[in-house]
Amino acid sequence: MEANGTPQSPAGDWRSYERMLLPPIQDLHKLDVYTKHGGYERLRRVLEDDDVAPDDITNEVKASGLTGRGGAGFPTGVKWTFMPEPDDRPRFLGVNGDESEPGTFKDRQVMEYNPHLMFEGILLAGYAMHIDTAYVYTRGEYTDWIALMAEQLENAYEAGYVGEDILGSDFSMDIVLHKGAGAYICGEETSLMESLEGKRGYPRYKPPFPAQKGIFSCPTTINNVETLAHVPLIVQEGGDAYSTIGAEDMPGAALYGMSGHVKQPGVYEYPTGMLLSDLIYDVCGGMARGEDLKAVVPGGSSVPPIRADQIDGLSMNDESLGEVGSRTGTFCPLVLDEETDMVSFTRRVAHFYQDETCGQCTPCREGTGWLENILARIDEGEGRMRDIDLILELCDNMDGGRTICAFADGAVGPIRAAVKRFRDEFEAKCEASVYPVSTDVSAGPDSAVAATE
Amino acid sequence: MPIVTIDGTTYEYEGDQKLLQFCLNQGIELPHFCYHPAMSIPANCRQCLVKVGMPKKDRETGEVELDDDGDPVIQFFPQLQASCTIDLQDGMVVETHRTSEEVEDAQTDNLEFLLANHPLDCPICDQAGHCPLQIQAYKYGPEGSRFEFRKVHKPKRVKLGPRVTLDAERCINCTRCTRFTDEISGSGQLSITNRGVKNYPMTAPGEEFDDPYSMNTIDICPVGALTSTDFRFKARIWEMSSTPSITTTNATGANCHYWVRDNQVLRITPRQNMKVNEYWLPDEDRLVYNKFNDNRPDGPHIRRDGTLAGANWQQAFAKAAALLGSADPERILFLGSAHATVEDNYLLTQLADAVGADAPRYIPHIEPGAGDDWLITDDKTPNAEGCERLGIQPIDEQLVGTRLAEGAYDLVYVLEDDPVGSGLCSADDLADTDVVLHYYNTTNETLPRATAALPAAMVVETVGTYVNQDGRAQRVRPAKEIQGVNRTLMMEMGTNREDEHGTPFDRWHNDENRINCKPSWEILPEVAKKLGEDLDYPKGPKQVMDEVQSTLEAFEGATYDAMGLKGTQLEDVEAGAAA
Repeated sequence: MEANGTPQSPAGDWRSYERMLLPPIQDLHKLDVYTKHGGYERLRRVLEDDDVAPDDITNEVKASGLTGRGGAGFPTGVKWTFMPEPDDRPRFLGVNGDESEPGTFKDRQVMEYNPHLMFEGILLAGYAMHIDTAYVYTRGEYTDWIALMAEQLENAYEAGYVGEDILGSDFSMDIVLHKGAGAYICGEETSLMESLEGKRGYPRYKPPFPAQKGIFSCPTTINNVETLAHVPLIVQEGGDAYSTIGAEDMPGAALYGMSGHVKQPGVYEYPTGMLLSDLIYDVCGGMARGEDLKAVVPGGSSVPPIRADQIDGLSMNDESLGEVGSRTGTFCPLVLDEETDMVSFTRRVAHFYQDETCGQCTPCREGTGWLENILARIDEGEGRMRDIDLILELCDNMDGGRTICAFADGAVGPIRAAVKRFRDEFEAKCEASVYPVSTDVSAGPDSAVAATE
Repeated sequence: MPIVTIDGTTYEYEGDQKLLQFCLNQGIELPHFCYHPAMSIPANCRQCLVKVGMPKKDRETGEVELDDDGDPVIQFFPQLQASCTIDLQDGMVVETHRTSEEVEDAQTDNLEFLLANHPLDCPICDQAGHCPLQIQAYKYGPEGSRFEFRKVHKPKRVKLGPRVTLDAERCINCTRCTRFTDEISGSGQLSITNRGVKNYPMTAPGEEFDDPYSMNTIDICPVGALTSTDFRFKARIWEMSSTPSITTTNATGANCHYWVRDNQVLRITPRQNMKVNEYWLPDEDRLVYNKFNDNRPDGPHIRRDGTLAGANWQQAFAKAAALLGSADPERILFLGSAHATVEDNYLLTQLADAVGADAPRYIPHIEPGAGDDWLITDDKTPNAEGCERLGIQPIDEQLVGTRLAEGAYDLVYVLEDDPVGSGLCSADDLADTDVVLHYYNTTNETLPRATAALPAAMVVETVGTYVNQDGRAQRVRPAKEIQGVNRTLMMEMGTNREDEHGTPFDRWHNDENRINCKPSWEILPEVAKKLGEDLDYPKGPKQVMDEVQSTLEAFEGATYDAMGLKGTQLEDVEAGAAA
């Protein structure tokens, strides 16, 4: 807390922050512009300096404290150390650009405005982990940016930044662009690998983890597009220096994809740990319809929404959001004002997960549809009071390791939180039930009647 | 030896093993749907969840921490684990639904999910009665459902191929069928289509599921989604009895069950035998069941005044004996059969010996190129190896065919084969030759030329032994009743023919379906008796086989007890050196 009582932002003096991921440079996506502004210099330095060993890069990334920006927030440097020692098997880097979570649209900006930063990050990561092939798995709907990246990648190949003996060193690496076919589940890392291999996008169970048995059963690391774009910056600044930017628990720059009922939605680059209030009222210019704030979904549809009365002093880092039972996810807050019907909102979220579940595991396949059915019934005024508790119970039956991947957790997280935090709205939409509300509605022979009416 | 503790009982184990399979091996039942021991593990049904823990180790010393009683402190994984994916580790502690309420609830919850969109049309479903979903839902499932919505509708009655029909609504998406075509049969013809609750197995557009092993997907389908186009809606499981036996379509000797209702074979399904066919059975082995029911003979016939006329068995035996007795032994051709059992061929050898004729030979039925190096063989008979081991050689078809045409034989004694139908000779070639014919079906092309036609029991009606191409001796047992009283057959039937619920009787009594035929091991001694020769085996084929295995080295050890349900491997013998 500052002396005047306003909360201290973990992002520090964010107003004077200078953008690094998406600097304000005209035509930065073009190779010549990128190199003119120091592009590929970090890669050149690493390759030409005999004192820089691959492990040094990993250690810098580890020291920077960078966390994955794809939603799960796993420490990137630690993930890199999971790669086994090189053997005669090929090794792969999977670049996850299958950005398809509702409310998330920040990787797109990297691919559109600074693709070479991502390529440079890929090459540095490849050097650090002895990887010679990277697959950039991009969401199929991003056709324009795939075309743009393909063109820029071609330029980078011609200029010798990618391919055989990069910049005259003995380090070679290929980057392959791969277009997804429009399935959200293919953004799940193991599902992405299956999809890359030409199979159905069904997640694999773990262990074995990708580092042990990944793409084509070879050691693999999967990183998000934005995460890799941070790597050249870390190499440039040094890990320790980079770790001082933003919030302590997940330091660095962040792309905030602001959407919802704010005046100026869009992608903004600031340090991590921005106060939600700063983001909404300062960065985005306040509420679009002049209504009061009702809820914030801090990082994509799969993180639990937060009530407006809880956002005071909350900042965009997991430590802070964890206090109110939420996560930063993809750093893309969705802002909802008082006019929002939370039941309708939850129903729409449930519909997305019902439509996108791969259908492999029973609880997720059946549960997502069931939840949508119940939420639709409540939304249409046909719900019963006991439906609300049934939703919560189904949520409990679906997550917590009941399925292969984390999709079900992502599906029920927001639904459970919305029902718990905005229960009054759900109850208001439910007609009064003749049966007592009970979570044990089908627990015994006596209650079975009530369960089926 | 490393140990694992399951529900408080400690087991030793060896090597790398998965928890689910280990439990099943120990007789510990864990509900599951997608797991199949022959295929990869998808862990998608989520039914086999258990609680797994490991002894807690001190982070610094690496030693196991002990509690106040000196027992290791067990640290359980925070989440339930799918037991099919868990590798056993020394000291692992497992709690199943028997000891953990959490596991029990999770399994019940999972079944509630599984049944949410399942049509629950068990009353009209072919799988009902032996359906893993039905059985496990009753055993582990919830009492009712809280699902109050319209179920998802998917395609029904989809003909995936010529032999398999899909009811997509029943599918629980376990992917056993797609994994079968990917990993076992290798045709890769099935894949899951659509996403989420709408998905089901399907072929590529315009393709049909004509894998020669396609019907195995019906067997491994844990629900009634994949059904046999041929068997659909024909019979309920509990109306049929099943008899463990082997198929006789080719030389593999694949183990199978014959499913019989009212003395008619309605279907054939694989029976697990890891030494022969593992879990599988080719489609061609299954779709032959009609030959056991249709075109079957109605008692023996004797040629009188140029036409075949019905006779009783004694007359038929007498006729056959008279023909044998009156012919010049050197002008008698005995034809053994690779379709007939070892016992029957052995008795024929005895008979040929008794009348002083040359040793029998058999007609080979080879279709070059028909085999696939797996369960389908070029040889279309089940017992060529058995014949060889008895010293019965294949005939030189050209030589014998010519001799038959030249009228070199006065009498041909055919055991369970069809010289005309197999192309050995033409019907006209036999115009001046007497024929004693043991035959299965009235479609036998030699039948019109027979002088004495003796209906023989087929594999589903007899007791006997077959030796497959790899020298494995396997028993067959009667699956359906024939007319007449035969104590051996009745005993075998009483002890082996059981339905799904362990009752040994076919409760249907339509005498028309009982064929008037006899096993050759009953016919041949009777004929010998009429000739005044002693071919007496009062204890039936069991006694014959005992004699065979004790006198012929090539059959050593092949007693009925040793063969049991899975057969016994015979020692290799030099080709032609047998007998």
